[in-house]
Amino acid sequence: MSALTTAADFRTALRAWLDENDLSPGPDHSFDAQVAQLARVRRALFDAGWMRYGWPREVGGLGGPAVLRAVLGEEVATRGLAEPGIYSMVEVLTPTLVDHARPELAAAMVPLLLSGREQWCQGFSEPGSGSDLASLTTRAAPRDDGTWVVNGQKVWTSLAQYAARCVLLTRTAPGHEGITAFFVDMDTPGITVRPLRTMHGVDEFAEVFFDDVPVPADRMLGRPGDGWRLAMDLLPHERSTCFWHRVAHLYTRLDRLLAETATPDDAALGAAYLALHTVRCRSHATQRRLADGVRLGPETSVDKVLLATAEQQLLETVRDLLPGVLELTETPWRSEYLYAKAATIYGGTAEIQRNIIARRLLDLGRE
Amino acid sequence: MNDAEVELLTQTLRRTMTGTASGAALDAALAGLGWAELLAEFPAVAIPTVFRLLGETGAHAPVLNDVVLTAAGRPGGGTVRLPYSGGSWVVWERGAAATGRTLDEDLPLRPVPADGPGPVPELLARPDSTAASVPVAAGRRAVGWWLLGTGHAMLGLARTHALDRVQFGRPLAAFQAVRHRLAETLVALEGAEAALTAAGDDLGSLLAKAAAGQAALTAARHCQQVLGGIGFTAEHPLHRHVRRALVLDGLLGSARELTREAGALVRAKGTAPRLVQL
Repeated sequence: MSALTTAADFRTALRAWLDENDLSPGPDHSFDAQVAQLARVRRALFDAGWMRYGWPREVGGLGGPAVLRAVLGEEVATRGLAEPGIYSMVEVLTPTLVDHARPELAAAMVPLLLSGREQWCQGFSEPGSGSDLASLTTRAAPRDDGTWVVNGQKVWTSLAQYAARCVLLTRTAPGHEGITAFFVDMDTPGITVRPLRTMHGVDEFAEVFFDDVPVPADRMLGRPGDGWRLAMDLLPHERSTCFWHRVAHLYTRLDRLLAETATPDDAALGAAYLALHTVRCRSHATQRRLADGVRLGPETSVDKVLLATAEQQLLETVRDLLPGVLELTETPWRSEYLYAKAATIYGGTAEIQRNIIARRLLDLGRE
Repeated sequence: MNDAEVELLTQTLRRTMTGTASGAALDAALAGLGWAELLAEFPAVAIPTVFRLLGETGAHAPVLNDVVLTAAGRPGGGTVRLPYSGGSWVVWERGAAATGRTLDEDLPLRPVPADGPGPVPELLARPDSTAASVPVAAGRRAVGWWLLGTGHAMLGLARTHALDRVQFGRPLAAFQAVRHRLAETLVALEGAEAALTAAGDDLGSLLAKAAAGQAALTAARHCQQVLGGIGFTAEHPLHRHVRRALVLDGLLGSARELTREAGALVRAKGTAPRLVQL
């Protein structure tokens, strides 16, 4: 494959390849099947090279601009090849390793993720630390032999029951500067994973318990106290490329609604489309800033609010314009409608985003 | 034009708009600055810069006529009948004697009969965007940028008030309910700006105008509430921006009408066009 460096060339070549290589999911819609499908898609895209574009050569990538990953994810979402939420996790996990792990560790591990051989998870939230993430209490303590020992509990950990590794935030000292990140093997003795039942009926999340879990010192990401910065560094990744993928996915759902509804409510359809178009334009501008080398910051909270609002508006429109369908029939809409309720909660609640916008973008001072 | 040239232009325009009486005098001043040439040669700079600044400064000039006329391949400098919300038509008058009696009395807008004689009526034979696509699309982008500027003017006033006004021993800006209203306003304006920046074709311009109208009305609602009693007085400038937002929203189609039109379009197509590409 020749080097592809522009989004347009990449998209053209990718579409041709995907037309020739059918990666459509099978009839099983269980979450186990979705995770297996994700691994299959990643592996095929990795082996053909597509999954490696936009990542550094040092970690098994082929180089090129990050926008190529956005194009790939859009194509995956538009064709419905993989569930977009779990597909996009690679966009936060890989940069975390690239930016914060020892180069040898990143080089050894990242190809395992990109190629679909492994799933990884992110141990951030805790029962007592949701919006106030910096209050987390999962402790890591050094032993005399240099190993660290972890005790505590994480919650809302996506894919933990499938994950081989975990990017884990722990407390090693008080305050924001006392948060330390580790890259933990999930098969280490002392780790217990318990899937969470959620209202939308998909076991995507889990609770993870750490009971005297030993972690080698060379699995620390960065240095002691770097964990908070690591957590903040990944937000711009989540809110650029992942968002572009999600917007592409939501367009497919608007198209599906247009195909299925018999209710000619142009005001509602137009409002749902306008909200999606607006967040697509905003996300496009963010992608361009990223391409220009701008360091993304609190302004991505605007993207987050626009996206969550658009998603909920779309799914409310689905319920309104397919009256009775998601209540009375066993349709995929039911789970998607319920899942949209989480859009203003996960990844920082809508209230936290507005706090950030008020403080950092409007400069309104402290509350 | 490079960034430095655009910045210099912006400064000059801002100075002119704040230092010149709105209407005919500002129209002449903009002409003196080379508005016609700017619009002809650099429309992608001219329209966002001039119209956003009109909104931010609260000034007005009848230059929307020039955008619509130029887009239709006509010489600027005259007036043209413009479709207004609800199937109405208006003319944005030029000249020293022009006055207005709309909700925003400062604007020399004059309602005209739908079927009566008017300047260049054939350009806009139908009020829907698709039939008269070229002139309306550019005009919608222009009014959209104006609405964005008006929204930012209101946000600026409300922000200043929230920081200055003390109740219960602390600034209003310390109260989360107030902060979140202002944050919501910024989100709406930023979304509209992204849509305006991306707008090129007819549908993109329609959506951008809808987003801008909606954002300006959101700004009006939140900022009016944050400004409390003072924002309801005639001495505070807020009401001028609120009036402007309401009147401009209806010009070339209101947010509500354009949103409905977009809905009809995607329903007819059976798919939602992805207008911006990486």
